[in-house]
Amino acid sequence: MQGAAHLYDGHSARRHAVTVSLARHDLALRIDGSTLPAPLLWPLADLRRLRDHADADQLVLTRHQDSKDEQPRDAARLVIDDAPLADWLRRTRPGLDRRDVTRGTGRRIALRGTAALAAVALMLFVILPALAGTMARLLPMDREIAFGRSVKAQMERFLGGSELGGLDCTAPEGRAALDEMVTRLTQGQDLGYPLQISVIDHGMVNAFAVPGGQVVLLRGLIEAADSPDGVAAVLAHEIGHVVHRDPTREALRAAGSVGLLGLLLGDVTGGAAIAGVAQRLINASYGQNAESAADAYALDALAQAGLPPSALGDMFEMFRERHGDTSGPVAHFLSHPQLSTRIDAANAAAPGKALGPVLDAAQWQALRNICG
Amino acid sequence: MTEAPPVPDNAIGEYTGDGKTLFWLALRTSLLTLLTLGIYRFWAKTRIRRYTWSATRLDGTRFEYTGTGLEKFLGFLMAVVILAVYLGVLQLLLVWFGMTIFAAPETPEQAVLQGMGLSVSALAVTPLVFFAQYRARRYRLARTRWRGIRCGMDKAAWGYAFRAMGYWALTLVSLGALLPLMTFRLEKYMTERSWFGDARFEQHGSWTGMYRQMTHLLIGLALVLGGLLTGSIGMATDQPALIIGYAGFAVGLVWFPIGVISWRVQSFAYLTRHKTLGGRVTFDAQPETKTVILAWVVGSIVLAVALSVATGIIGGTVATLLAGSGFAVETGNGEHLFLPIVLAALGYLLTLAATQAGALAAIVQPILKHYVTTLTLLNLSALDEIHQRAADPGADAEGFADALDLGGAL
Repeated sequence: MQGAAHLYDGHSARRHAVTVSLARHDLALRIDGSTLPAPLLWPLADLRRLRDHADADQLVLTRHQDSKDEQPRDAARLVIDDAPLADWLRRTRPGLDRRDVTRGTGRRIALRGTAALAAVALMLFVILPALAGTMARLLPMDREIAFGRSVKAQMERFLGGSELGGLDCTAPEGRAALDEMVTRLTQGQDLGYPLQISVIDHGMVNAFAVPGGQVVLLRGLIEAADSPDGVAAVLAHEIGHVVHRDPTREALRAAGSVGLLGLLLGDVTGGAAIAGVAQRLINASYGQNAESAADAYALDALAQAGLPPSALGDMFEMFRERHGDTSGPVAHFLSHPQLSTRIDAANAAAPGKALGPVLDAAQWQALRNICG
Repeated sequence: MTEAPPVPDNAIGEYTGDGKTLFWLALRTSLLTLLTLGIYRFWAKTRIRRYTWSATRLDGTRFEYTGTGLEKFLGFLMAVVILAVYLGVLQLLLVWFGMTIFAAPETPEQAVLQGMGLSVSALAVTPLVFFAQYRARRYRLARTRWRGIRCGMDKAAWGYAFRAMGYWALTLVSLGALLPLMTFRLEKYMTERSWFGDARFEQHGSWTGMYRQMTHLLIGLALVLGGLLTGSIGMATDQPALIIGYAGFAVGLVWFPIGVISWRVQSFAYLTRHKTLGGRVTFDAQPETKTVILAWVVGSIVLAVALSVATGIIGGTVATLLAGSGFAVETGNGEHLFLPIVLAALGYLLTLAATQAGALAAIVQPILKHYVTTLTLLNLSALDEIHQRAADPGADAEGFADALDLGGAL
């Protein structure tokens, strides 16, 4: 087998006209050219061709060789336009398309992959929460309150409200009953916040704390509660979140992680939407410690107000019956498996001196009708 | 510089890629990208570059792209590590300063803060964008070979990023009047750090010389503004001025985008004509604005027709198949809707992949071909004295550009 070809030696931009022949005894290609200092021998086993080449008739060969390049390849190129020679090489040399990787590539992939995952995980689960916690403590009160107002506005929009405060329930008797409940729960305590409790006209059984000392009860929760004590228990739990600044910390953390996930997934295939979903999954609750702390706060507040701490356990039972153990809109309360533990804790908590129900029958009725 | 020396020693660029091959290559690779949830995109881009590079021929020698998908993937992972920390902390700080863009503003003060937040985050990312652009060009050059010789670029991405910020600021402050200054100086910065083997590229010419390439851009702008002005005078006084104003405005609206394309094509040509390599090899570039626009228009029409025919056939076939199997949507009670929904989603993804592949083959490649075939290298024999340069490890292999979504079609 013999044919004409061109060689680029990998050292100069010069083009060498060469003849290629087979050196049988060496199992190699012999490359001769008048401009080459000496004939070259390329072992057949080391021959590789360039892939995805635009000219199907042309064969460009190089050699497998250790190098500092991205691939272990010799810098020299042998360009074969001679059809019989190119055909013969394609036919008899199946190793032409072999992909060689530099030694240690697997380790590099593993290292970089782990580093990337670790960096993202570290940011999502350690640094952002820690930074968010510190910043939440340092955040000036007025700024936090302003931030909370815009968060609440967004929640209202999400729940179907078209204008700001349009869903707020403000029946005067109901409002008075609610205020009395709040006063009794927070008597003699320094919350560090001007507390603002509102009821929103929505059927979902839920309640949440918003940055800046706001607590929102949904109408569905008041309707589903068996007694005013239950509502008071949930309220105390949410006030616990407010006192511990959980919602502020969470909002700060969410802001950081949304940007991060968007970056990772890229926006080619609706990555932003996925990032949003992932974000919601991450933030299903404030975390087990924060929930336990809010529970503890609530049990304490109930006992001090002369209300039965077991009311909190009753409410959890009610949520569980309605939604099962882990899903549904109240997942915020139920998001970790130790719900039974929490119920037991509520039932075992030492009650304070019983001072009667938080609201009398007429007040309870007024609260239930707060949305008119 | 404008007059070519009368030696036969020059070579015109050739482009041999064909649309069909590139389309199938692009379609196959983008389907693989979908199947691997985006991970294959680094390999896909590499393979398409290998094809387009090797389809470009100068003086009988094809170009070679030596990059690998793996190094691009690894570079992306590295960029993610750095960007994750940087962007995460940045976002959090912005929220802390009450400059969040997630919440609706309630007071004017809050709106101002949010505006500031937007510009702060844009400002914080801008140097990274320029940094990534330079790095991407360096990577592409480092992976480009011709006659077995590596191209390359010096490590100067931060210097570029800060100069780019400065020139952009100047251009914005001058309301675009200093655009040629920015274009010229930034291209000069990159060109004079670019190498073919041991030969350096140089950028000659001057930024004031580039105002000529802005002619159509300025005419379009003048027509739009003049039309508005005449129209508003006409509104107050007499009818004819109003009509003239509207007509001028309408013509300007068409002229202006053509002027933008003309500027991009002709400023590229000007800069290329004024480059030299190793002080001896010179270039001539004569791309035509109208050919570029025509390639774009024709390609878009071909693509639109082909896509509607293809989706029509596929959609019709699927509908027939579903109907043939006794499937009717209104009987579905949710569970039975599963199959059509999956088919629709698959169809959507397939259309998306086909559109990208089609745009590459029908629009990007013809334009590339025009640029290549109107390029001439003069005094070619000087190339024989050029020697190889050392390999460039490539650092992030365009990872920042990929993470920040800056990459073009190629």
